Amino acid sequence: MEHEEIFTLMMDALDGELLADEQMRLESHLRACPDCMQEWQALSAIDALFRRTPMLSPAADFTQRTLARLPNRRVRLWLMGLVYVALLAAGLLPVLVVVGTAVYLVASFGEPAAVGSGLQLLVKGVQLIGVVGGALLTGATRLVIEQPAIIGWMLVMVGIVFLWSGVYRQLLSAPARRQIS
Amino acid sequence: MNSDEFVWLERAMEGDKEAFGQIIEAYQGPVYNLAYRMLNNADEAEEAAQEAFIRAYTRLDSYNPERKFSTWLLSITSNYCIDIIRKRRAILLSIDEPLAPHPALMSEKSAGPEAQMVQSEEQRLVQQMLAELEPDYRQAVILRYWYDLSYEEIAEVTNSTVSAIKSRLFRARRYLADLGVAAGLEPIDVPGMVV
Repeated sequence: MEHEEIFTLMMDALDGELLADEQMRLESHLRACPDCMQEWQALSAIDALFRRTPMLSPAADFTQRTLARLPNRRVRLWLMGLVYVALLAAGLLPVLVVVGTAVYLVASFGEPAAVGSGLQLLVKGVQLIGVVGGALLTGATRLVIEQPAIIGWMLVMVGIVFLWSGVYRQLLSAPARRQIS
Repeated sequence: MNSDEFVWLERAMEGDKEAFGQIIEAYQGPVYNLAYRMLNNADEAEEAAQEAFIRAYTRLDSYNPERKFSTWLLSITSNYCIDIIRKRRAILLSIDEPLAPHPALMSEKSAGPEAQMVQSEEQRLVQQMLAELEPDYRQAVILRYWYDLSYEEIAEVTNSTVSAIKSRLFRARRYLADLGVAAGLEPIDVPGMVV
């Protein structure tokens, strides 16, 4: 146990982090313990050898050869910008369609002559949605009864939609190029 | 990092390769040395150093200016070297095979013939001993001795903890000491340690 503690002191000594009292304890132990003294001298020899071994440098034209291999960052930044714009447009398009339709309908219903026919149109629209919705529901129910595997495929499709919406959100939330300041 | 380097980095982020060339010029020594000490092969070290700079260039957006640039760059280099060592093992290549040594291991022109031989022998011994260490231990030893990084900085570069780094250095030094004795390295006393 004492030897392990001494080894720790040796490491601190090599790192130059030994306190005065710790140095005294280490020295007195080394004087009394030939095994630890041998270990200490071997450690010191390695420490000295590694400290006097110089850094190595690459060949003289290293920079030029590395520069020749660098990709074109400007093109990459430009392409990423295009992707961001395309994604933004894809997100804004449905909003613009809904807003445009709403503005058109409000403008049409706003005219007095159009109020009566507008109400009739609304009733007919609701009836049409009901008929179409009912037919779709009936068809879907029959399909599920006849082909149960379709549920699995639908789950896969939903999973894919969630996955891509995650990717989409991640891309939109990616920080703009960080400025160094 | 000095103010010039800040300017080079900002320009490199905008795609200025020449500005990044200044960064390469400033850091090529430390990056190459780390790659060479890790891989023990001049050709692979050069390839790894180039790849580290290419990765740094393409990932400049992810660099956090609050960190030291050198630490970030060394981290990329060191991770890449560990990957290469793992791939080497996967194809059963041994580190003991004859590998292309760095020219500096062959001769040191500024020194006399006798000193040249001693330096060259020592360089070879250092590389042989490093090659005996597990990559994680080798990494810690290299960052401690050639880069004088603190335990905290080594932990940051290697994405590890300070206690893990202390433990690795402790074991690596004792193992190296055994290797040194076996290789006939003369035991010495550290100056200042009066025994």
